[in-house]
Amino acid sequence: MKANPRDVNSGTYYMDGDVASGYGALAAGCRFIGGYPITPSTEAAETFARIAPKAGAVFIQMEDELASIASVMGASWSGVKTMTITSGPGYSLMMEAIGLGAMIEAPFVILNIQRGGPSTGVPTKTGQADMMQSRWGSHGDYEVIAISPDSPQELFDYTIKAFNLSEKYRCPVMIMADECVGHMSEKVVIPPAEEIEIEPRRFYDGPKEKYLPFKPDQDLVPKMVKAGDGYNLYITGLVHDEKGYPIKNQMEKGKRQKLPTRRLVDKIRLNADKIIELNEEGLDDADVVVVSYGISYRVAVRGIEKAREKGIKVGSLRLITVWPFPDKKINELASKVKAFVVPEINYGQIVFEVERCSHGQANVVLVPHGGAGVHNPDDIAEAIEYAVKEKKKIRKVIEWKTRLEKFVFEGGCKLNK
Amino acid sequence: MNPIITAFANGIKKSGVELSNIVVVSDIPFEPEIIKDLGVDFFHVTRGRAIAFGTGLKLGNPDLKVVAFIGDLMTLGGNHLVHSGRRNMEMLVICVNNFVYKEIAETPAPSVSSPSETGKKFHGTGGFSAFSTFEKPFNAPHLANSCGAVFTARWTAMHTNELTNSIANALLKRGFSVIEVLSPGPNFYKDINQIDSELLDFYYKNSVTKNNEDTRNVEITSEEKIITGEFTDKEKSPFIDTYNAQLGKILGDKFIPLGGHSGRD
Repeated sequence: MKANPRDVNSGTYYMDGDVASGYGALAAGCRFIGGYPITPSTEAAETFARIAPKAGAVFIQMEDELASIASVMGASWSGVKTMTITSGPGYSLMMEAIGLGAMIEAPFVILNIQRGGPSTGVPTKTGQADMMQSRWGSHGDYEVIAISPDSPQELFDYTIKAFNLSEKYRCPVMIMADECVGHMSEKVVIPPAEEIEIEPRRFYDGPKEKYLPFKPDQDLVPKMVKAGDGYNLYITGLVHDEKGYPIKNQMEKGKRQKLPTRRLVDKIRLNADKIIELNEEGLDDADVVVVSYGISYRVAVRGIEKAREKGIKVGSLRLITVWPFPDKKINELASKVKAFVVPEINYGQIVFEVERCSHGQANVVLVPHGGAGVHNPDDIAEAIEYAVKEKKKIRKVIEWKTRLEKFVFEGGCKLNK
Repeated sequence: MNPIITAFANGIKKSGVELSNIVVVSDIPFEPEIIKDLGVDFFHVTRGRAIAFGTGLKLGNPDLKVVAFIGDLMTLGGNHLVHSGRRNMEMLVICVNNFVYKEIAETPAPSVSSPSETGKKFHGTGGFSAFSTFEKPFNAPHLANSCGAVFTARWTAMHTNELTNSIANALLKRGFSVIEVLSPGPNFYKDINQIDSELLDFYYKNSVTKNNEDTRNVEITSEEKIITGEFTDKEKSPFIDTYNAQLGKILGDKFIPLGGHSGRD
């Protein structure tokens, strides 16, 4: 299905990432955003609020993030595409509801423009430390999809893709951008509507009395209807059967009731190959592979260049899709390369996934950053240099001491004995 | 619970609102099995978020009639109540006050009145809370009224006819309506579908109906009789109307108003 021309403000612009994401949401067919302003994501909400009413879409500033995310799920079940926009503290408030979203299989998108540090942290500067939270933030077993764009253009493109994925797999999709990408201004090309592919909602069209809201299709994803269309829906956050009724007794009438949890996990895991998008460069003969995402990728590009100037064979694997994690790809690379270098703006999140998937076959070097800034490419280049020289197999994640770390923790951060 | 659902079903019938247009949202403490057979859509969401979820449903499809059944209205999600009143979000909130939360948590809850001999009776056997109640309760109709609700009422679950009428009236109101219903908690007192009829009776007999009473005077105390009735009934432009008017004024022809599926896919 093509985008509606009314929703697409085609043209070539110079805009920041947040604004691009607002335009992307409307182009994807978003009809409702419930949000609460928070730096550094506010411009995305502002943009949508400004352009939405001309396309029959609505932005409402809710009373808090708890209300925002709940309203987004309600609107999603009323039959429209929805999104919310936030940053760290707001994202934390939304966690409980993300589990509900996964459970009631409401398609919606969360744009998280990450800031630095825990708690209020550094509201106006960057960070990449919510990556694990996006995967594990709500209680219980569930799977989500998370995308990490690296430029304003990508914030436009991948906002649309996030909507498409959420409609296709009926799960929360997170756009895990960071303040740098959100606030950098670059050229953004918004193509004509006929060039934008959007995924329509998977509406059920069979006989009304036979509709089961949680009966999966071939790809494990059930079809949806709109609230208020007379389907006598019963949608709950409790474990439920295909009709949606809560399972109170697992052994009912001698028959074991199937919990939905397995399918909620499998609909993403078994479709992972279709979902995952990676950007690979120079992997064929690489001795070292830099695994990066978001703004860290763009810094790593310079680090890789510098390492190559010294004759090191280094490749780059950029995670555009961070969750589900590309286990297979990392495992396959681990058997061929000496080491992975993972620069990220945190003290180790995705690096442990890389370590997990390499199963001890290759060394894994973390180039950490405490937030509120980006790496120095020289640190990445030096970490690559070290990684290619290291002969020993070191059976843990090696933390590279960056210039910043040396400066901040002069002499090292040590426990008093 | 059943008398309330019966009144709800009869209220819908009386109001003439299409059953399939009604979407009921409730949160964790409230999940009546009987709602399955009512012919409405039902969403059971996270604690305290029923009003917020309902706001999304209403703005996603303004044709829906959203009813939020809430047990613990004034704690989790109290802010949603306050702001929905302020916005005059078109929605009916039925707050089922069973005075029970206190006993579960062993501490005072915002809807429970202070202790006394009669007060004990409010809470069934009165012996569940370790330290009894010492906090002041909310006056739910007054809270809703002062936040801007266009309709407020309070009944006990035994006032079936009055409750039915109020639900019918509220369903036809355009704006934020709140009805407080006093009912013993079935789950807690006896088995799941059986209500403590003695206590139900006590609420009923201990109440006095004063329609149009100033909501400032309707606080529930253990010394005085419970005041029931329809307290607020006023007209005020609901959220979607004010939204359409304001944006229409500024954007003119470029604005696609909400409602009636205009501009919707």
